[in-house]
Amino acid sequence: MPGTTLLRIARLLFNEHLLSVVVEPTIADLQREVADAGSDGRKRLRARWRGYCAFWTLTLVAPFASWASPVSAAGAVAFPGALARLAVSSMAIALLAVIGPVAAAWIGAVAAVGALFAIGIHTWYDRHPSDIPVPAEPQRSSPQINFSSTEIAGNVGGLIFSVGSVFIVAVGLPSTIWFLFAATIAGCFLAWALAAWHRIQPTYGLPENRITLR
Amino acid sequence: MADRSAATLPRKERLILELLASEGPMYGLQLVERSDGALKRGTVYVTLGRMEAKGLVESQQEAVPHGGIGLPRRIYRPTALGERMLRAWTVFARELAWGR
Repeated sequence: MPGTTLLRIARLLFNEHLLSVVVEPTIADLQREVADAGSDGRKRLRARWRGYCAFWTLTLVAPFASWASPVSAAGAVAFPGALARLAVSSMAIALLAVIGPVAAAWIGAVAAVGALFAIGIHTWYDRHPSDIPVPAEPQRSSPQINFSSTEIAGNVGGLIFSVGSVFIVAVGLPSTIWFLFAATIAGCFLAWALAAWHRIQPTYGLPENRITLR
Repeated sequence: MADRSAATLPRKERLILELLASEGPMYGLQLVERSDGALKRGTVYVTLGRMEAKGLVESQQEAVPHGGIGLPRRIYRPTALGERMLRAWTVFARELAWGR
């Protein structure tokens, strides 16, 4: 009979009231739908899938939604620790279902390697403590990424940096791609005009503002 | 004593009351099917449980036929308070629309 295991899990998590009002009707619907599907394998599978999704959804939702009923006062959740573990597991399963097994495996591998790397670095610093220089004055400015303060040489390296930065922004914010495209064209015109102007007046302006071709 | 939250009628609760009032007693799954996607399987019984606690609906377990297998389903019907609440909200919504 489908739903028997789900009911067993639910009995560990919820009290009698929540079981009879919320969980059992959901499982009853699953069982009725599977029974109505008859011998059609596809329909049975679909009914099971929908029933299981409903069960796990209510498992996540019920503890948060039960505040409005007297159930919360009576302790709707029988075993909060188990529920928390179940909620985390359900979210992990939902993540797997949403992003697919390949991407999930990749994310899992990256997270595992990242965690190992972090543990390694932490251990190394514990064994090799070093003095971190403390600034004489407390920093007043807030941390920020400021492209305009990055020094870029007027060579191929600078070009690669600029193109790479624009590419990263375009990938991260695809909606800005036309703005970046227009800005690149406008920037080329501006650079051409500035280069022409500095060629005509080589001694004008601050030294750091001069374009140096290397 | 009725819950103070019974004084409000959220959209889903109103929809359930409308369906029950217009089509008669129904199971949770039937409500989900009739709601055109407004109600979800995973949350409909949570909403119904809350409505039952407020005194807006009442439920009864279906009788399991002899030799029947599986858990019995629950059938829901509006209470007198639920019907009054729905009428009051309908009048309230109409008055608001008239006042525009």
